Amino acid sequence: MSIKISDLTVTFKNKVTAINHADLEIPNGVFGLLGENGAGKTTLMRVLTTVLAPTSGTVSMDGILYCEGNYPKIQRQIGYLPQEIDLYPSLTVQECLEYMGDLAGVPKEECRKRIQYYLEKTSLTEHRKKKMRQLSGGMKRRVGLVQALLNEPKFLIVDEPTTGLDPEERIRIRNLLVDFSENRTVLFSTHVVEDLAAVCNQLAVMKKGQFLYAGSMKELVRAAKGHVWICRLGDEVQAREIEKKYHISSKQLSEDGVQIRLISEKMPNIDCVPVEPTLEDAYIYISGQQA
Amino acid sequence: MIMTERKISLPAYKLAYAFSFIVILSLIRGIIFSYEIGVAMEAPMAILAMVFCADTYTQEITSKRSEIHRLCSMKRRLSSIGMRMVVQEIALFALSAIGYGMFYVFQHPQSLYKAGQSTESELQMFFIFLVAMVVTLWFWGILSNLLACLFRNMWAGIGCGIALWLVTNSTWGEKVLDNWNLFSYAFRNVMDSQDFGWLYGKVLCLLLCVLMTLLMPKIIKKRG
Repeated sequence: MSIKISDLTVTFKNKVTAINHADLEIPNGVFGLLGENGAGKTTLMRVLTTVLAPTSGTVSMDGILYCEGNYPKIQRQIGYLPQEIDLYPSLTVQECLEYMGDLAGVPKEECRKRIQYYLEKTSLTEHRKKKMRQLSGGMKRRVGLVQALLNEPKFLIVDEPTTGLDPEERIRIRNLLVDFSENRTVLFSTHVVEDLAAVCNQLAVMKKGQFLYAGSMKELVRAAKGHVWICRLGDEVQAREIEKKYHISSKQLSEDGVQIRLISEKMPNIDCVPVEPTLEDAYIYISGQQA
Repeated sequence: MIMTERKISLPAYKLAYAFSFIVILSLIRGIIFSYEIGVAMEAPMAILAMVFCADTYTQEITSKRSEIHRLCSMKRRLSSIGMRMVVQEIALFALSAIGYGMFYVFQHPQSLYKAGQSTESELQMFFIFLVAMVVTLWFWGILSNLLACLFRNMWAGIGCGIALWLVTNSTWGEKVLDNWNLFSYAFRNVMDSQDFGWLYGKVLCLLLCVLMTLLMPKIIKKRG
């Protein structure tokens, strides 16, 4: 399963262009989508789920062009977890998933088996008789993910699936997505760089409706090599001065001052040492470079 | 599936406000004779039907579930909407029947049939009321649902429905539309039990219901 996006533009009625002549190819496996708020990630996912029609450009799934006539064929292959979703509050988890499975056209018995399997995988089995309204935000998110997996889609689109989950659950969900991605495509959109670093090999970085980067994670990190520095400063006043000049990726207060991790094209004019970049550093580097 | 649709479309709060509505109506809308019950109930029940059914599908839009629904086949989506409408209409129909009884309980209306001034028995009147209410509730319910889907907003659906309600449930509507009025049952000549001219209005409602049912798939497809 591969998705090809060519010269895609989405302009809303209020003339705001959310995606601007974007090109991308999404291969098999977990593909990360990273970008600041308003970068166009959700709009892109809405196009990929056929919720939104592009203003211009083309999208195809395994050679099948996204167009009105092909939508039913495409929609059957997709599973989707939107960013904000409020599943039926008056239904229990089991009822809700059976209902969603039925809507998706999954045969009843098969649907029950899959529900049982995914509830176990997401540690929700003991909560299956609880009403949706009784669940915590993280649990609701997990149920949302299970509903997206029920029709065993070839193309799974998940918009911030780990929001509201505790660290243990995040790891479990990430592993579930990696297992699921075998011979399938999973588009994983998030703000949490750490999550992408744990599950993706390939990713795209979006900013203002365009792709700043699309390719392997290693390449992205490599591009930032030699541009990440750590320096120790005596006090907060000095740190504030540095913050004005450079992109800071982290800041730690310690007994002997402040330790700052900064991104700079050239070696800063202060006492600092180069360090190995993380994905987060690379993301900040590439965003800053394009800005 | 129908039980799940019942849980989705008939939460406790909806039944509670609908029941309170008919209790209050039967308490405050004064009547003297039993034949006035149908007249007193038809138009207010139409408003209840509009409010009740406006969120049949728009609840999917406000909760963002519609984005997932879009991935499902149109047949299943329409079947789900259809089942919800049926469930809600049955509830509204039962509430109207209960409301009719409440008028008897709270206001003890006089019977012209018992006084020998009418040939229509109480049971006949009740049966005709039920027939008229089925059509009225179905029409106003499906209208508000359709308009809400069209505007993707339940309040827009209710608002437009109320505008039509105000036009038809008026002296102008009574005079101009006469037997073809959507509220022809309430505006009928209650003293003439043999006059069934009001059925034209109900047939018109039914025809409009068919038309709206045919329009629904197109609106759902277009507006999601």
